[in-house]
Amino acid sequence: MKQSLIVIYGSLAILIIIAYFVGGSAIILEGLNISIVTMYKSFLMLVASFIIIGQLNVLLSKDAIEKWLQKFSGIKAIIVSAIAGGLFPGGPYIYYPFVLSFREKKLPFYILITFIFGKQVYDLSRLPMEASLVSPEIALIRHLITFPIPIIVGLLALRLYGSTVSINPTLKAGENDDSDNYNS
Amino acid sequence: MTQTTIILSIAAIILIVINSKKTGKQYEGLKLGLTQFLQTAPIILGAFILAGIIEVLIPREFVQNWLSREAGLKGIVLGTFGGMLLAMGPYAFYPIVASIMASGAGLGTIISIITGWVLLGLSKFPYETGFFGVKFTVKKLIFSIPFCFLAGLIAYILELTILT
Repeated sequence: MKQSLIVIYGSLAILIIIAYFVGGSAIILEGLNISIVTMYKSFLMLVASFIIIGQLNVLLSKDAIEKWLQKFSGIKAIIVSAIAGGLFPGGPYIYYPFVLSFREKKLPFYILITFIFGKQVYDLSRLPMEASLVSPEIALIRHLITFPIPIIVGLLALRLYGSTVSINPTLKAGENDDSDNYNS
Repeated sequence: MTQTTIILSIAAIILIVINSKKTGKQYEGLKLGLTQFLQTAPIILGAFILAGIIEVLIPREFVQNWLSREAGLKGIVLGTFGGMLLAMGPYAFYPIVASIMASGAGLGTIISIITGWVLLGLSKFPYETGFFGVKFTVKKLIFSIPFCFLAGLIAYILELTILT
């Protein structure tokens, strides 16, 4: 959060200085005017989006998702894992440790990688933001176009590595898996 | 915009009802959502201002040459790596995408920016390398780049053929 704040306000400060040299205070005021209008128009959408995010966080528990993942194998597991990834609530500091626990549960690599791509591509909790802040049409087109990505990745991983249980199945014998540090 | 607000509000109400019947934790969900909203409000505010300034600052020629539909593949490549470099959360990222779109960027560029951010976003790097290691992160990154180009290309073709 702190990092995002620094990036945003740091970039803002730099851009305001550039804007001042490019077009003086008039261009800055024009930009601020656009911001205020967008904020005013988006406020209710943002409130609704956050209500959805909060409800989804409560509704979809980590345990329920874990149970789904252990039930299936093969193509079914890939589809379930991709969707489960999209439904899994929370940011990277929550889902990466969860994914890391797959190895202890003996879940194969293809389920792990599909889950990660499913989370990144589908992320249901991000959808209301994408629809409200960009546009519902763009959100729909983007989701339709990128929908096959996690499934393709899962199928490729299944074909290449089979049911290997590892975080990094491409490592040769004797090579160190960096992620081991977190499990020891 | 009103339509989106109505759809999102209906979705929110449906989820509250489902939660009240299934888990009984609808108030917890509301509290959670409100807390998250308040916590991210400074980021959202900054992102909206940043997006407004970007919108007036991006030169029309740059948009025309590099980001518009006419820019073609250049827009897709630039969009993919631009999305990767926008190392920020969704609350900050989406208003910036909206401002780039408002300045006249093509669909291929917009889709590749979002896909680039989603799959390659640098803000995820510290977590990914921390939990899975550098090798995994780099391999995943290289493997993901073609998907971003492909998504942008599909959107570009869609814009040229169906959506014109």
